[in-house]
Amino acid sequence: MTLLAPLFLAGLLALAVPILIHLTHRERKQPIVFPSLMFLRKVPFRTTRRQRIRNWPLFLLRAAVIILVVAAFARPFVEGAAIGAVDGGTARDVVLILDRSASMGYGDRWTRALDAARAVIDGLGPDDQLTLVAFSDRPELLIRATRDREALHTVIDALRPEAVTTRFAPALRLARDLLDQSDYPHREAVLVTDFQRIGWDGRSDVRLPDGVRVTHVDLSDREPQNLAVTDVLLDRSPEDGGRATVSARIANTGGEPASGVTVELEIDGRVVQTRTAEVDAGTTALVRFGTVAIPAVPTRARVRVAPDRLRTDDAFHFLLRPIPAIPVLLVEQPNAPGTETVYLRRALEIGRDPTFDVRVRRTSRLGNDDLADRAVVVLNDVPFPGGASGRRLVQFVEQGGGLLVILGRRGGTLSAALRDSAGGPTGAPVDRLGDQGGGGGGGGTMSIADYTHPVFQPFSTPRSGDFSAARFFRYRHLTDPPAGRVLARLDDGGAALTETQLGRGTLMLWASGLANVWNDLPLQPVFLPFVHQLIRYLAGFAEPPAWYTAGQVFDLADLDQRAGTELVIEAPSGARSAETVTGESRHIQLREAGFYLIRRLGGPVSDAAAVAVNADPAESDLTPLDPEELLAGFRPLEQTRTMAAAELSQLTPVELERRQRLWWYLLLGGLVILAVESLAAGRASRAAA
Amino acid sequence: MNGTRFLDPHILARIDNLDLLARTVVDGFINGLHRSPYFGLSTDFAEHRQYTPGDDIRRIDWRVFGRTDRFYVKQFEADTNANFSILFDISRSMAYGSNAITKLDYGRYLAACLSYMSRKQRDRVGMVTFDDDVRDFIPTSAKHLDLVLHCIDRIRPGAQGDLTRPLMKVAESISRRSILLLISDLYEEPATIARNLARLRDKGHDVIVFHILDPAEIAFPFEEASQFEDMETGELIPVVPEIQRDEYRHLMAQHLEAISQRLVRDRIDYVLIETSKPLDFALFEYLARREALARVR
Repeated sequence: MTLLAPLFLAGLLALAVPILIHLTHRERKQPIVFPSLMFLRKVPFRTTRRQRIRNWPLFLLRAAVIILVVAAFARPFVEGAAIGAVDGGTARDVVLILDRSASMGYGDRWTRALDAARAVIDGLGPDDQLTLVAFSDRPELLIRATRDREALHTVIDALRPEAVTTRFAPALRLARDLLDQSDYPHREAVLVTDFQRIGWDGRSDVRLPDGVRVTHVDLSDREPQNLAVTDVLLDRSPEDGGRATVSARIANTGGEPASGVTVELEIDGRVVQTRTAEVDAGTTALVRFGTVAIPAVPTRARVRVAPDRLRTDDAFHFLLRPIPAIPVLLVEQPNAPGTETVYLRRALEIGRDPTFDVRVRRTSRLGNDDLADRAVVVLNDVPFPGGASGRRLVQFVEQGGGLLVILGRRGGTLSAALRDSAGGPTGAPVDRLGDQGGGGGGGGTMSIADYTHPVFQPFSTPRSGDFSAARFFRYRHLTDPPAGRVLARLDDGGAALTETQLGRGTLMLWASGLANVWNDLPLQPVFLPFVHQLIRYLAGFAEPPAWYTAGQVFDLADLDQRAGTELVIEAPSGARSAETVTGESRHIQLREAGFYLIRRLGGPVSDAAAVAVNADPAESDLTPLDPEELLAGFRPLEQTRTMAAAELSQLTPVELERRQRLWWYLLLGGLVILAVESLAAGRASRAAA
Repeated sequence: MNGTRFLDPHILARIDNLDLLARTVVDGFINGLHRSPYFGLSTDFAEHRQYTPGDDIRRIDWRVFGRTDRFYVKQFEADTNANFSILFDISRSMAYGSNAITKLDYGRYLAACLSYMSRKQRDRVGMVTFDDDVRDFIPTSAKHLDLVLHCIDRIRPGAQGDLTRPLMKVAESISRRSILLLISDLYEEPATIARNLARLRDKGHDVIVFHILDPAEIAFPFEEASQFEDMETGELIPVVPEIQRDEYRHLMAQHLEAISQRLVRDRIDYVLIETSKPLDFALFEYLARREALARVR
């Protein structure tokens, strides 16, 4: 038994009070009348003092009260007592927060983490309960407030690290909420993690409620060594006939340089190329492989380095697959000179990622066959088709097609059906040739109204494209579309580019031709990417990613399966799950690195669609965080102690005393005795009266 | 209502009318005696005795003569018509009571009941109250019950007590042979008590002493040291009860023992009564003494 505040024992001097009271025979103020004093003799009070204690039971009660209260203030505790056993039977509510991010796969961290978790479970008292929270980028409540150790062990045994990055704040916030709802007298949060620095931005406002004890198990390693393939670049060359150059970025996050690192490119399970790299400590190196043929069907590929202590990031998985060209129908005036169409044609011919499959029609009549396999139709300064061709074109847009109408000297009208929603040109062309603008060339300039629009978003950053350099000498005056919006305007306020949604498709009107006649935009550097962005946007093009990062979601709708199709999803670890295509977006979580295989239920494995998933490259940086830096902002304003993995039971005297709370029982005992003393004293007083 | 409840001094203390109190107590007490061996009232038949010359022929039981052809006379118990006088010590010390009833009140109830019961027994009743001198004197008479009860009713604590002078006056004043019942707390030396009572006994009186004490006077249960004040003299002395308790009890026991021995030796009936005891205890004691007196006669 040890005292935390032994100076309070000085309070035992107060024992003198009851001793004096019980030794001193108090003289009643009122004399007692008695029939006769013939049998009494005079006994002076002073001669009787300090002779003996009067009313021993009452004296002992009063002395016990003083002793218990003084002992309570001295805050006694039992040294060396086991955790829980000294709690006087009071139960604990423990929240075990277990890190299962990708970095926990480093070396034997995961084994040590499981051992620490099992130690916490085995250390539970009979009345204790434990909530298990596993976290990576998000927390998952695996089992809540249970005393069933078997169930806890079963859940722990089934856990595996994920390929996902670390984020402490959501997990700590969940732990706070759980403990905040707990009505247990002893609440405790145990954090088992490698304290990876990238998981903590230092700005979280999570703080545990008062009274919660925070302990942690630090699994970080000193000077971890790790080589990781963090990125792959696919450089497709259209001139090279469907081939691509593969480059990989190798990162060395350790403190020592890595020399002679063997980097292999593996396609469809076979190593096709090998390179050797030198990577200095804390740097990255780009390894370039030779060109490889892009298969006609999606093919699994990966770049890998020799396995090290963290295997999750030793390989980078991706899919090699051709990017389909965007089918474009370019409609030109039959008698249009080649100088008018050359700029647009050439721009579309040199498109990359994707390429453009351009079909040119020099007619004002469009048949069903012309539109059947096209994604985008461009009316390059031709009158809007009338009659059946016009209706067919509107129907094409409403069914999801894209239509770009380039207004020039010929294209002065739209069909009546389109004007109601998309507006259109009015009146004669606006002539700005005589303007004396900046640069002395005359004409007007164009400005972007909405840089967040996908067409202009690539030009939103500085030095990414300057539209103001182009001069606009003549253009059609466009009314603002009633059902659409203006994406670019000329300096006189007129619309240069408008967009209107028609059904599931998009109609765009360009007011000033693209033939280097009414403006000189085709001569500007922004012309090529501008045209490419226009066509991509109108075609609704989105390049399917060659890989995903663990933690992202995959939309099963991208597989173009019919609604009602049952799918089997096989994770890289071999775990399988089933999903049913509903026709709407249905996302699945990608938590493991490798290839997810998705196929129809009962379908051949060879038909399975592969989804490449890589560990979050941030996880390759194993730099640890000072635990105190994280816990200082997390724990309540109380002092807690680091709990080493192997020393969960070593506590400071303050913590030990706080856990045992013997003072509380002493004070309670004192109050009970005080109540008994009051009764006894009252009875004795009445008897004396 | 159960008449025995009225034998409890604490309940009697609630009755102001002494006449009603005495009737209630005595009637209830007598009713309770119907099946008891105490059958000493004056009109009670005791036994038949063979006629001897000189007997009053009015006492011959002619029914027995008719059945047996012999003369028998009926004999009755306690057919005395005695003089019964109560000597009531009303000194200030009698006003002490640690509970609801004081010794004086207890004595008043006792005196009223005994007077009523004696009168019912056709005795002549009288009353003497005294402290250091005689305060009230009511001669014995068959008609003085109301006067006695009135006197008892207006008794108030008197001055310091002294047996010698009052009892000497009583001895001189009561010439007819009487039953004298002394109610007192007897705070006198045993020798003084015995001497004064012996004087009465020598006059031919039958003396019965009811020594009334409060339980606190015997047990001395006090705890806290205090000044103790003598009720009669007003003297204050410091007393530490826990130190003196045993000594007090011992002295008190010696005192009681000495009184008892001396009075028994002088053939004076002595009864120690605590005020916590029911009145029937005193009434039993009285009847027992009266029966003994009757048999002696």
